[in-house]
This record gives sequence, C-alpha cells and structure tokens, in this order.
Amino acid sequence: MSITLESIRRCFEGALPAQIATCAPDGTPNVAYLSQVHYVDSEHVALSFQFFSKTRENVLVNPYAQAQVMEPVTGLQYQLALQYLRTETEGPLFEYMKARLAGVASQTGMSKVFRLRGSDVYRVLDIHCTEPQAPQDKLMPENRMPALRACAQQLAKCTDLASLLDELLAGLARHFGIEHAMVLMLDAASRRLYTVASLGYAESGVGSEVTLGEGVIGVAAEQRTPIRIAYLTGDYAYSRALRESLGEDGEKEIPFPGLAKPHSQLAMPIVAGGHLLGVLYVESEQKLRFTYEDEDALMALAGQIGFAMQAFEQNGDAVDEQPSALAPAKSSGAEVAVKIYPADNSVFVNGEYLIKGVAGAILWKLLSDHAQGRSEFSNRELRLEPSLHLPEISDNLEARLILLQRRLTERCTFLRIEKTGRGRFRLAVERPVRLDRFL
Amino acid sequence: MKANADEAPLLSEAHAAFVQRRTSMNVAGRDAEKRPALARGLGIRVAPDRRTLTVYLSTTHSARLLQCLRDNGAIAVAVTRPTTHETLQFKGRVREILPLSDADIEAMAAYRDSFAAELEPLGYRRDFVRQLLAGSEHGVAVVFEPTAMFDQTPGPKAGEKLGEKP
Repeated sequence: MSITLESIRRCFEGALPAQIATCAPDGTPNVAYLSQVHYVDSEHVALSFQFFSKTRENVLVNPYAQAQVMEPVTGLQYQLALQYLRTETEGPLFEYMKARLAGVASQTGMSKVFRLRGSDVYRVLDIHCTEPQAPQDKLMPENRMPALRACAQQLAKCTDLASLLDELLAGLARHFGIEHAMVLMLDAASRRLYTVASLGYAESGVGSEVTLGEGVIGVAAEQRTPIRIAYLTGDYAYSRALRESLGEDGEKEIPFPGLAKPHSQLAMPIVAGGHLLGVLYVESEQKLRFTYEDEDALMALAGQIGFAMQAFEQNGDAVDEQPSALAPAKSSGAEVAVKIYPADNSVFVNGEYLIKGVAGAILWKLLSDHAQGRSEFSNRELRLEPSLHLPEISDNLEARLILLQRRLTERCTFLRIEKTGRGRFRLAVERPVRLDRFL
Repeated sequence: MKANADEAPLLSEAHAAFVQRRTSMNVAGRDAEKRPALARGLGIRVAPDRRTLTVYLSTTHSARLLQCLRDNGAIAVAVTRPTTHETLQFKGRVREILPLSDADIEAMAAYRDSFAAELEPLGYRRDFVRQLLAGSEHGVAVVFEPTAMFDQTPGPKAGEKLGEKP
C-alpha cells in the first residue's frame, strides 16, 4: 500500500525539524533544515519561506526537491519527492502558517529569528518510508469520526440557537474531552467578534470582543481558515495580548475569558452560505493537544453549526400565536439607574458597564417599552425596529438576544429575558428602573 | 591533491570537533536529471589532516542517495546541533565509498552515544534515537573532500560562506 500524506500528518506538527535537498543548475546539491512543513491537502504541502536561501534560489530554477520528515513518536523517517509550484504571500494558507510558525518559533526559542515571508507550495510526487519493513498501519491516526457523529446527532436535535450552543459545548467536553472552548459571533458593522457562549472558564466572558484579523481567533475569522497552534507562543499577536487589543475603551470592555497561557489553540471559522458567521475556538494548557484529526472533525462541526445558525435565523420570524401566560413580574426595592450612551449604545446599570452595541440598543428599547407598560415581545418586532439599525442580512438577532440574556443573568439578576414561546420572550423587571439617555 | 597540501584545511579544529559529536546530519546528492536525493547520516569522521570527511550511510535506508553519489560524486552534508541549532553545511566531491573498517564502526558507535545524550534532555528516548539511526548494520563509509563550507545556523546570516577551495 502506498503511503498517503494524511497518514503521516503527525510528522508535520513541528516537533522535529525536517530537511530539504535541492539541486542548483550546475548540479551542486544543497541540504537545509525546515522549520515548518504544512499539510495543505492530500497532494500538496507548503514550506515556510523565512529567509532568502539557497533552497529557494534552487527551486525557482529547478523545481524538484526531496524533503525528509520524522514521525515524532516512532522516529520513522519519510521522504517526500516534491515539485515547487508557487509562493503565497497572503491569504488563508499564509496566515495559517504564520500563526503556526509563531508557535513553533517560540517552542524552539527562535521567535526573534522566524518571520514568515511566504508559503512555498509544493506538489507531493512520491512518499517513501526509509524503513523498508516498517508496518504503516501503526501510524493510523486517532479516529475522531465516532466523536463527530455523536456531536452531530445531538446538534441535529436543536431547535434554536441557545440550545445549539449549549449542545455544542457539552458535546466538545463529552466526546472530545475538550476543557476550554468558546463560540464567538461576528458583528459585521464593527468588524468584531463577540463571545456568545463559553466552556471551562472562571468568568464566562460572554460579550467580550475580538477584533477581526487579530490573534488566532481574529485571523481565523478574517481569512476563513482554521488555525491550529501546538505550542505556547510568545508572539504578541497570537496570545494573551488579545485582551489588551481593544484597550482604549477600558471600562466598556468585558475581559476575554481565554487561558492566560494556552499551549494549544485551535480556531475554526463558522461559515454558511459563503458568509462568515463566527468562530469556534478551543484551547488547552497542554502542548500538542489538538491534532489534525481534531481540526478535521471540528471543521465539520463548525460547518454543521453554521448551517443550523443560518436556518434558525431564516426562521427567526416564526412565532407561536399565543405566548404562554406568565404573571408580570412585580417591581420592588431600590430604584436602579440605567444609562445609555447612544454613541455606541453602551449601557451602564448603577454605574457598572453591562453591554453595548446592538444588544445594548435592544435592552434600551425593551426597557423603554416596559416603562410604557409592555413586557411581552417578539423577535419579529425587534427585527423590524428601526432604532436597532440591524443589518438587513445576517442580523444575528438571536445571538444578540442570547448575549443580552446571559449578560443579564451574570450581572443584573433583577432584569431577565425569559423565553415564552418560539420567537417570543418577555422582559422581567424586578426593581424600579430610571432611564437616563446621555447625548 | 598535493597542490593543496600547503593551504590550511577548510575546517578548523573547532569545526572538526563540532561536527563529529552530538550533531544531527543529513546528506544530499542528485541524479543525472538533477533531482535531489536525501538521507540521514549515521555519523561523521574528520580525517586527522581535516582535508577529508567520512560520512556513514546505510545501504538499506539510503540506496537512492548512494547511487547518486556513485554516479556523479556531488555531495552536500548539513550538520546541526539540536540543542543550539548551530549548523554547518559542506559541499564537496565524493572520493570513494568503502566498506566499514573497525575504526569506522567505533566512530559510528561513539557518535550514536553522543547523539542520544544530546537528544535525551529534549525528551527523546534511546529507542527513538536507534530508529533515527536505523540501518547502520548495513553501513558504508562515504569519503568526500569538502570544497566549500557554509554557516547555516537559522537567522539572517544563514548561508554565509565560511570558506572555499578552488
């Protein structure tokens, strides 16, 4: 049986250096070390181009190369006959390799030296194991299909976004053993992603934001590529600095819940119908925690939740005729001051920041209507409400309501959003509220 | 060869000491179509006058490379120390390919022990190192004369020529 590129993907984790041999036009061979061999697909790999080197000079003239990679557990060595095709200097492949290089570089103490100039894409012509008798079946990677199937089955039962998010995180914990995860949704207008659900953090971080294009999450979203990093990276752009990246509006910032020092990170863009909806992100304190197989499986899950999110949104106007009857909540106790700053719709409750953006505007509208004696609402009327300035397509209304609901649960228990049926909810206000609008 | 006898060898004593112990080495050649071949070296020995180097290869694990080296003699050898990333590359011509002598077998064993000691603090066990150096029971000695030496330690200076012979 010939060896497939998939079966030796563990060799590409960057744990051990790979080598490459090339040949100059005058027939002089050259051998060099590689910091990264990146699996592109079943027929291609990409090599990191960091310095102008003899290797590069050679392949631009004579495209044939021979790479050697090591299997990190067994020490088996594989030789890949390669043909140089092209160099990419931007886009998903480049950004993915740049992020991974930051991890590998910091693992090997080379952060200062390693800067990705390009991703050199090669066709794999042949794969050969140097150990003639090596049993290749030992290399079979861990099978994630049963875990994927179990998660997919649970997700298929969900009828709304809130249960989809809950089932997703529960499934990741149960079937993949993942301890830290979060789902972020895109706010296209602000080019930011906001956390709508999380797993395994002291503070949920719901409402915290990541700028598109920044850090592992932001780059995965902007480039619509998964990014998997197997080592702790000291690189500013990819780790804890995330939380400082939104710095100027300090008091309106909900702390990002992520691990201070993630040794493994994996971010999957959630895309449906060609639109970016958000990001699924998992991380671990353990290095080399996530494999290529995890990346495959979680990308498939991200695809499924993307289509489910899109379907829920398209059905978002469906409403039950009669809301379930609930007695209106009684307001009592000390008055609460709720202030909104219309510039960014940031809402403060008794001086403490709660929420901003569309979710802030929704809360303001609900409280204003509540002051007029209303407490029952439908998703449809919010969607049509001009003061919310919702985008016409992909408004993520349900995600914003979940965000608002969860922030209220965490920060202000006397205000609650309670679902009363499909497409319907009510606002429960248990203390008298004074509304102040700052212009 | 006599003409070069008065010139200093490419390798200093420090270079010679560096390449022979605790390093990882890879050897490249190429065929008539200039398609490269690559294999792991199983040890290296610098001649006392430092004018030739002997690198060991396995006939079972590096058959194609050995064929290339026999056919045209063009050779490149990169030697790197895993804990420091210090790397040298030699370009040269193969002079002869010989069966292993007792001294070669001793040199390979000493090299293997030093390589295992180098990799141990990085978390690699001896059986891993044994697999990396598999095929040494079918070893041959490739004697080559280095004609150029390059610093290939990762970084902006990588590729700098440290010496050349006409």
